[in-house]
Amino acid sequence: MLTKEASGLVVAAERVPERRATRPRALRRVLPYVEGATLVVALIVPAVLSERTDLITLATNVLILSLLAISFDLCWGLSGIMSFGQALFFGVAGYAIALVGRDLEFSELWGTLPLAMLVGLLLAGLFAAFLLLGRKPPTTIFVALGTLTGAYAAERLVSGWQYVGAGNGLSSVKLLKLGSYEFVEGTAFYFLALALLILIYAGARFLKQSQLGLVLAGMRQNEERLAFFGYRVQLFKAVVFSLAGLVAGLGGALYSYHQGFIGPGNMGPGLSTTAVLYSLLGGSGTLIGPIFGAITVEVLSYVLSDIDAIKPIWPVILGLVPLGVVMFQPKGILGLFVSDRERIGSYGRRRRDG
Amino acid sequence: MGIEIKLVFDLLAFMSVMVLIVLGLGIIASMMGIFNFAHGEFVLLGAYTVYIFESSGLSAWAGILAAPLVLALIGLVLERLVIRRFYASPIIAMLGTYAVGLVIREIVRGLLGGHYKSISEPLPGAFTVFGVDFSIWRTVIVVVTACVIAGTWLFLARTSVGLQVRGSLENPNLARACGISTSRLYAFTFAFGAALAGLAGALIVPLYQLSADIGTRFLVQAFLSVMLGGVGTFEGPVLGAAVVGGMAAGLPWLVIPVLADPLVFIIALVIVKFRPQGFITQGRL
Repeated sequence: MLTKEASGLVVAAERVPERRATRPRALRRVLPYVEGATLVVALIVPAVLSERTDLITLATNVLILSLLAISFDLCWGLSGIMSFGQALFFGVAGYAIALVGRDLEFSELWGTLPLAMLVGLLLAGLFAAFLLLGRKPPTTIFVALGTLTGAYAAERLVSGWQYVGAGNGLSSVKLLKLGSYEFVEGTAFYFLALALLILIYAGARFLKQSQLGLVLAGMRQNEERLAFFGYRVQLFKAVVFSLAGLVAGLGGALYSYHQGFIGPGNMGPGLSTTAVLYSLLGGSGTLIGPIFGAITVEVLSYVLSDIDAIKPIWPVILGLVPLGVVMFQPKGILGLFVSDRERIGSYGRRRRDG
Repeated sequence: MGIEIKLVFDLLAFMSVMVLIVLGLGIIASMMGIFNFAHGEFVLLGAYTVYIFESSGLSAWAGILAAPLVLALIGLVLERLVIRRFYASPIIAMLGTYAVGLVIREIVRGLLGGHYKSISEPLPGAFTVFGVDFSIWRTVIVVVTACVIAGTWLFLARTSVGLQVRGSLENPNLARACGISTSRLYAFTFAFGAALAGLAGALIVPLYQLSADIGTRFLVQAFLSVMLGGVGTFEGPVLGAAVVGGMAAGLPWLVIPVLADPLVFIIALVIVKFRPQGFITQGRL
């Protein structure tokens, strides 16, 4: 429903130029302001919270999980791949750098973060090759269940494997280093995560607005038609899925360094569906929306789970929220104040004359 | 000799458990195109019903009889309130049913207080044939599963309601044009699938301890079974469940258990990849 509706609107927006002329307000773009405001807030946060280390930790965590949210949004929001296993790449990369730290005693930033990204990219590439490529185009259900199965199988495998700590996971992960500087939880780590998030965000934004993004938008609308035009639809999907794996891998490495811990729960369907929740709650396909979703869910979890009256029913609320979103507000939070046309994006040069 | 018979019986018992769980899921997926992520929680609710009956002093048998009815009712209400909004979009349906499942699971977890409860087998003990012990309760499960498969098949293939169900599956528009209320039929199908899940939960709970996660452990295997067998058939999911159940119970004998678990998923996924239409393509439901 989401894709169909969303992609229908791309056409609708392009077919009715006279409506744009009569309603000039529709031309005003909100999204850049939202993005700018979010960036400003993100830059101010450490200054405001400098007294409270626990809140800085929370904020850093939100930034890292935002990477996971963007990763999922690249799959679902941009290319219409329903991935129920995005945490797999997150978790495997996290494990990879934890093992490199443990067995090779190596945790230099310039080495491990690219390694994590490579792990995510390759693993997602393998998955994409298996799930998406082939003689017959796969059904969406197969891809969704395939990713879910992958994440679940990996979680089960890791939780029984002694070498990687079995059910207890790997704790006291070696600290991330740059030269002799060690990143501990705190403002420095926050800014490192923020810088990487901004880089990834800019990259994803560029991807969305590039010609590749246009092809993806067309695919979301009508995959068959694009295939008839000569585009190798599944290949495009596989590329985006691999890139999403790269982003998730980076997030997983940062998570592992930041928490000092990585466990089977960080790669299973649980975290994967949380990523889905971020994206749907915030507004999928907008890139900034999923970050909003991550902020909302994580901050609310932190605040509400401290209140004793709410603590026991908080998981129930976490289930009711996505249910409410898919039933009543499929456009997410961002859909409340961003026009459909802008949410989906427009391509090519904007015409001033309308 | 004895050990082989025992192994075959164990495989058969676990295959029956899988088939019982998958049957409801397969019928809902085939009929309505909805992969019900809350199915594991329906199984859990079936188990929980037995627990309530037993802890309030009633007979466990009453609980086993009541579980399908309770679940049919819950399924009916859920279909009317939530599921029917998702028919047009199977992916959103996955998310919606996942959320429903999460809510149910967490409520039950709250009610159980995070504890494991064990339910004793209503028919404990074992009987001996040719010097080999067979657990009575597992035998009951095997027999009941066979009865349920036969009953469901007779219902779908031999009754007029079953004919309507098959008609709506083949061509919903034409079925509606013939005066069949597909909306009512879908509600009924969902309730039926939920009832089967409830029965499965009620029967298997003595074998596993009752915890909020009793359903989730079977969910991914159940999905793979349906894909493996072929969506849109009756025999397909049953066969798929038998294969997956057989692999899950048999592989730990061949490879180390740590690998056996993920291996089941990988093998099933690879088969689905290269035979996406499933085992059974002829004679659609």
